[in-house]
Amino acid sequence: MLAGNAAGGLACLLAFRLVSLAHDAPAVLIYPSLFLVPFTIGLVAAWVWRPLQLGIGLSLLHSLLCTVVGLLAAYLAFREGVVCLLIVSPILYLGTVAGALAGRVWFRSKNDRINFCLGPLLLLAVAGEPSLRGAHESVVTDEIRIAAPPAKVWPHVLAFPAIREEPRYWLFRVGLPYPVDTTNGGNFVGADRACRFSGGAVFKEKVAELVPEKRLTFDIVEVPRDPELVGHLDAHRGQFELRDNGDGTTTLIGRTWYSLRVRPAVYFDWWTHDIFRAVHLRVMRHIQQLAESGEN
Amino acid sequence: MLRFVVRYFRWLAHVPFATSLFDAFLLSWTAIFHPRRLQAIEAMEAAVLQLPGVSPARHRYGGQGFVCAGQEFAHVHGNGLLDVKLTRERAARFVAQGRAAPHHVFGPSAWISFQLHTPADCANAMILLQAGLPEQGS
Repeated sequence: MLAGNAAGGLACLLAFRLVSLAHDAPAVLIYPSLFLVPFTIGLVAAWVWRPLQLGIGLSLLHSLLCTVVGLLAAYLAFREGVVCLLIVSPILYLGTVAGALAGRVWFRSKNDRINFCLGPLLLLAVAGEPSLRGAHESVVTDEIRIAAPPAKVWPHVLAFPAIREEPRYWLFRVGLPYPVDTTNGGNFVGADRACRFSGGAVFKEKVAELVPEKRLTFDIVEVPRDPELVGHLDAHRGQFELRDNGDGTTTLIGRTWYSLRVRPAVYFDWWTHDIFRAVHLRVMRHIQQLAESGEN
Repeated sequence: MLRFVVRYFRWLAHVPFATSLFDAFLLSWTAIFHPRRLQAIEAMEAAVLQLPGVSPARHRYGGQGFVCAGQEFAHVHGNGLLDVKLTRERAARFVAQGRAAPHHVFGPSAWISFQLHTPADCANAMILLQAGLPEQGS
């Protein structure tokens, strides 16, 4: 049974190697589809499992073990973060199961010529898919209403003291770094800022646009080398916008622009939005508390 | 979901592996949300492969096909929908008896459909499958 897992993994490693050679880039920069790869692993595993004549239930169980082995390998060999693996595990399992079940049907029939074509075709798909896709860029926007005018909110947007509140978001509780405080090197375009996350991770930022009491935009110039944060997505820009509601309240809007490297984008976009929303709301609720309590 | 895809995404049948992939998803969905149905599919599959001369095959539109005497006489989709080929008369009789429904795509024809829900449905599925078994050596 483990032979199936090993064969699938080997097939994908071969495909990665081909991709990295073709792109003349280190393998770490290549991000193959996290659906296509487990699908291929499942399919290759199903081919190896043929003599076992597995039923559907056992195929599901073996695929689960395949996924666990794959996650362990990613943790040990690629030093992936636990939260990343947690996020990726449902699609990894789904891909492996889909491959194993498709393979179970495919390899039971006696059409060896078609079965023989399947391997090279899939390897080609795994190897070629990263070069076919374009960059996936998106923005996450969140807003809250603060019972204070923009003049009271603005100073806390520029910089704020440590957030003492325990994180509510479940991924923060299991180890994903969460924002703790922000420091400000000056209130002018080009000034340095730093957003410190739990675990000592620091995002270095540079002010790109500053319109007092209206808008603060900053470029994210350096991302910490945290295994939970590195490589999968790039957050390039953040923004706070203040809208005066004319009744002594302010709508605070937080935005983050990012590009996603991992695929399938639909799946990872959903997670990225969820995570950025939690980051935004943690910071914006803190700003709300400070502004509404009149602290300086 | 199968009906929706068959109606609007029929062209996917021309994309290599697309139907197999879709059916694998249907089966995964069934495994997660309808485990009893999965048991029924598995039990029915094991039973039909015990019938003399029956071997597994790929169904063109995704799913596990069953072949006897070189002909595909039945297949089961990942959502537990069993399709069996009979004669028109037999098909009409089974539909009239309430043992099966007209085929989910062709309507009244030589094909009938039967939705597996629990392992208890296997008995009826086997009656339909045995009725659909082609004459061997013909």
